Amino acid sequence: MDAHSGKTRFLAVIALTALLSMTALAQDNRVATREIVDFDNDLMPVLTKAGCNAGACHGAAIGRGGLKLSLFGGSPDADYRAIVRELEGRRVNLTRPEESLVFLKSTGASPHGGGRRLEPDGDGARLLLEWIGQGASQVAGLRVEQLEVTPSRHVANAIGQSVTVRATATFSDGSTREVTSWTIFTAEDPSAVDVDPDRAVSTVLRRGRHIVTARYLGHVVPIELVVPLSDVAVHLADEPRSNFIDELILESLAMLRVPTSPFADDRAFMRRVTLDLTGRLPETNAVAEFVADPSTGKREALVDHLLASEAFNDYWTFELAKLLRIRNTRSRRAPAVEGGALAYHEWLRRQIREGVGYDQLVRTLITAIGDAGQYGPANFYRTVQGPGLQAEFMSEVFMGARLRCANCHNHPLDRWTQDDYHGLAAIFATVDSRTIVKLNPEGEVIHPGTGTPATARIPGDRFLVDGEADGRAALADWLTEGSNPYFAKAIVNRLWSTLMGRGLVEPLDDFRVTNPATHPALLDALADDFVEHGYDLRHTLRRIALSTTYARTANATPDNANDDRFYSHALRRRLEPEVLADAISDVLGVADRYGDEPEGTRAVALVDPATRSEALDILGRCARDASCDSSTGPGGMPRTLHLFNGPLLNRRIGAPSGRLDTLIAAGTSPIDIVAEFYLAALGRHPTADEQAFWNEQLDADPSAESQREIAPAESRREILESFVWSLLVSQEFVTNH
Amino acid sequence: MKRCDGQTRRDFIRVGGLTALGLGLGNFFSIERSLAAGNQTRAAAKSCILIWLDGGPSHLDTFDPKPDAPSEVRGPFASIPTNLPGIRLNEMLTRTAGMLDRVAIIRSMTSTLGEHNLGTQYLMTGYRPTPALEYPTIGATIAHVRAAQGVLPPYIAVPDLETRDRAPVGNGYLPASTSPFSLGSDPGRPDFKVRDLDFYEGLDLEHLDRRRQFVDALDNFSRAKDASATSGSDPDLERAYNLIASPDAKTAFDLSTEPAAVRERYGIDPRRGQANSNNIGQSCLLARRLVERGVGFVTVNNTGWDVHSDLLVYKGRSAGLPDEYALIPAFDRAFSALVGDLSDRGMLDETLVVAMGEFGRTPKINTQAGRDHWPNVFSVALAGGGVAGGQVIGSSDAFGEFPADRPVTPPDLAATIFTLLGINPKMELHTSDGRPIRVAPPGATVVSELIR
Repeated sequence: MDAHSGKTRFLAVIALTALLSMTALAQDNRVATREIVDFDNDLMPVLTKAGCNAGACHGAAIGRGGLKLSLFGGSPDADYRAIVRELEGRRVNLTRPEESLVFLKSTGASPHGGGRRLEPDGDGARLLLEWIGQGASQVAGLRVEQLEVTPSRHVANAIGQSVTVRATATFSDGSTREVTSWTIFTAEDPSAVDVDPDRAVSTVLRRGRHIVTARYLGHVVPIELVVPLSDVAVHLADEPRSNFIDELILESLAMLRVPTSPFADDRAFMRRVTLDLTGRLPETNAVAEFVADPSTGKREALVDHLLASEAFNDYWTFELAKLLRIRNTRSRRAPAVEGGALAYHEWLRRQIREGVGYDQLVRTLITAIGDAGQYGPANFYRTVQGPGLQAEFMSEVFMGARLRCANCHNHPLDRWTQDDYHGLAAIFATVDSRTIVKLNPEGEVIHPGTGTPATARIPGDRFLVDGEADGRAALADWLTEGSNPYFAKAIVNRLWSTLMGRGLVEPLDDFRVTNPATHPALLDALADDFVEHGYDLRHTLRRIALSTTYARTANATPDNANDDRFYSHALRRRLEPEVLADAISDVLGVADRYGDEPEGTRAVALVDPATRSEALDILGRCARDASCDSSTGPGGMPRTLHLFNGPLLNRRIGAPSGRLDTLIAAGTSPIDIVAEFYLAALGRHPTADEQAFWNEQLDADPSAESQREIAPAESRREILESFVWSLLVSQEFVTNH
Repeated sequence: MKRCDGQTRRDFIRVGGLTALGLGLGNFFSIERSLAAGNQTRAAAKSCILIWLDGGPSHLDTFDPKPDAPSEVRGPFASIPTNLPGIRLNEMLTRTAGMLDRVAIIRSMTSTLGEHNLGTQYLMTGYRPTPALEYPTIGATIAHVRAAQGVLPPYIAVPDLETRDRAPVGNGYLPASTSPFSLGSDPGRPDFKVRDLDFYEGLDLEHLDRRRQFVDALDNFSRAKDASATSGSDPDLERAYNLIASPDAKTAFDLSTEPAAVRERYGIDPRRGQANSNNIGQSCLLARRLVERGVGFVTVNNTGWDVHSDLLVYKGRSAGLPDEYALIPAFDRAFSALVGDLSDRGMLDETLVVAMGEFGRTPKINTQAGRDHWPNVFSVALAGGGVAGGQVIGSSDAFGEFPADRPVTPPDLAATIFTLLGINPKMELHTSDGRPIRVAPPGATVVSELIR
């Protein structure tokens, strides 16, 4: 390991040395097709990169040393005034540029609290002088249209290789300028990529796929750097593929040189797909039938059967209810509504059952009006309190975007602005969300930047005009337009994550330019396919479930064991708390009770996540009062202690007329009981080794060891109870794989 | 990214290589000189109690008052002198003010992350969060590096680690066994008890032992074909079993054995675990009992500090009536009792106490008479465990907007905490794929004047 990292650093030295000459070359090639240097677009990035407008310097709210600049250049007009007009123009001397204070201070020629920020003979100082010499202009209306980086993707052959990136900005007047020196390059993971900020050189320190972001003014572009995970090429050309998913996954595996695992057998596939599509374990007789079925199209038939089942409707209502955080809400602003959560839940289940397009479903939510106790969708406006939180909630759920930071400031690393945040909030401010959800056209929010009412705005797109009375309709139109860049991607990424164990974008609610998908082309293709097929959730789930990628075993090979995101093998994932609770009940043949709900109510069918249940609390259910995406639950020690000593398993394992009790009463042999439980819990038979192990355990007489007087029948029952307990705690049971 | 396989490849500990490139060699830890070899630094603190003020306490209304600022910055509270000449604290920190000779305050903490989850991760791990890798909390690292003392878990969260927006703060890349043991019940309740430590009816230790051996057998059979799986027994089951098996461990959680006067000293909210009650006092008392028994890291999670509207709730929970179990008075009582009690018992030198949240609050009061998130400057209080008390490190500017001098970053703070706990901040641990990661980020600088 030491030798390894030493070598890395050695290579980095070589890379840096080699790059010095290349940088010089890049500077000679600098082309500025626009003659006039502009304050906003050309000079501001120099000041930003030099740190002049950082929070600790002139960007502080009260400035520094008498000069106040906006934080990270957020207000260029004010900064222009401060530099050019204030202090009687001493900061800028148009006749003798090199006597300008802004030059003398920044180059350290006259005393400056911040020391030397620009090298006197460097590019930055040169550009500054050029700008002053030309008359210190601010070109009206000029802005950066596009930032282009080359290469935007680089596959290196080995660790330690470097790549030099060039950044070119295209401006609204059509001119272009190389801006590499003023572009800020940041490695997403500094331990994986070493970025030399002065030379725009990135050196890859580790195998895998890494992201470096380039930032110039408000524009952010990701650069993908790849070092294959192995030195040995893999041949995947002959791997079977059933749709575009497999093409794109295999393409990335080939590039990364990761070999695939083989395909899962019928039993493993059936357990996996039944859990994924219906949140249930397969019935024991259905497993036998499926395995015995000789037809070639049986997996398709199974998937179609599951998609058409009531269990699918239950489970996917549950999944979307978590996303929408359906629960009984109450607050000072919006008192509890009798039946609100129930109406909402029933409405949602109806949409799922009828196969209503996701676009239509969301449109109904966004434009909902009515009595929240009667009309389910109206509860969408009662999920969080106030227009600002509603804006955050809507964007997180339907756009996979976090607007939160833009409440207080324009985000330097993201595209969202305060105008977006408060403009979206302004749309929701026109909704009165008390018991009866209705429009309140007078509602408004104050934009903290201007202190005046914010103008309603589609985030990242456009301000609404006066004629658009209900901005919600415009918002819904924009979201559900086929070309919307967020809506379809956000939901297909969630569907993918549910079936594949990891989102193409992680975290699921953090779509950002600087957080690109592991497989961008696949995300696009899934979204396009979803839109083309009427925003049909079942369609995309079917696509994924029938891909050969989905069909691989969860057993890693020695050569792909380190892959946790490129899908060379299936990922093992913990069953969700509610699914696990139902699975335990099904295997034991004894239902659990949830609050005052009728006997036999399944955990995934609960409307209110606050329904009393110690089991669900200990298993870590999501309370839905915040996003369930990052919900981890208690887990760990409390959960394990509870499994040992709590009632969750102990009360029910041997309960009268449960599965174990019934089998024993019927005189089933102990080893057949073991086999029955294997089939119910794991969807498979015990292997020969396992069979031998359990035979041995069941034959051993624990009373001999413990010196206790236990009748053989009773001790065998104890061992069977311990077997069932351990089966329900085993990794194979508590995960989907 | 959570893994299903639990324990990962066994990590082993190594001295960080001191190579020349990429490492900020300008700041070398003064402590380094006394480091003959290895990762042990000095007669270090044995334990750390982190009092986590979840939601982000206002620096201006606690440790960094600005009595001379205009009222929209100064806020509704007065300030009081302390037993350190020239140093003032918020009027509600009366007890703490009398013991500042044993406490060090950093007034120039500075972060860039003003969102709860990100800030919480940053402060609790010392690493800036990135989607590429989850870092362990300082507590998880301690649990990993230190050999567990007895059967009590090495890292305990009182009552849990549920933060404002459920920040993913856990074991990060370290094995799942390093995540904290969350008690899951409130020490402020009259019937407080860590649940499920007693046997279920009809079961005994022998049953439990057989059951966990069966699980190990099942797991070994099913993962035999998976090259990414690890062998060995489920560490969760093993730890839980050992805890259940130990009667001594159970007494650690039994607050009823503490004299009434001691319980009162830390503060018992008369609401006793009901809605909106403040359990910081009894949680700190429990933390003391746990470190007394060798637990290496205890996080006391005190929630409710995200006060965006009406700062008067710091002082009184209902209708602004003063209330000694409102956020700041209850903190003052618990924090001072903890430091005082540890000192009385001769344990203060070996126990580091840290009180902090994920960021500070906006200097200017907002339109709802509250303060919003402000990571640019905030305060942290430390005591015991080798901390040189009686000093204020760094300062914020006139309005508490930015550090005026001696900025201290979350990585710096983490490196300092590790150093106080006898762990070289440059010590390397390994991710499951063998990547070396330092316990504190490269470039972190120990706040050397903090260390006695």
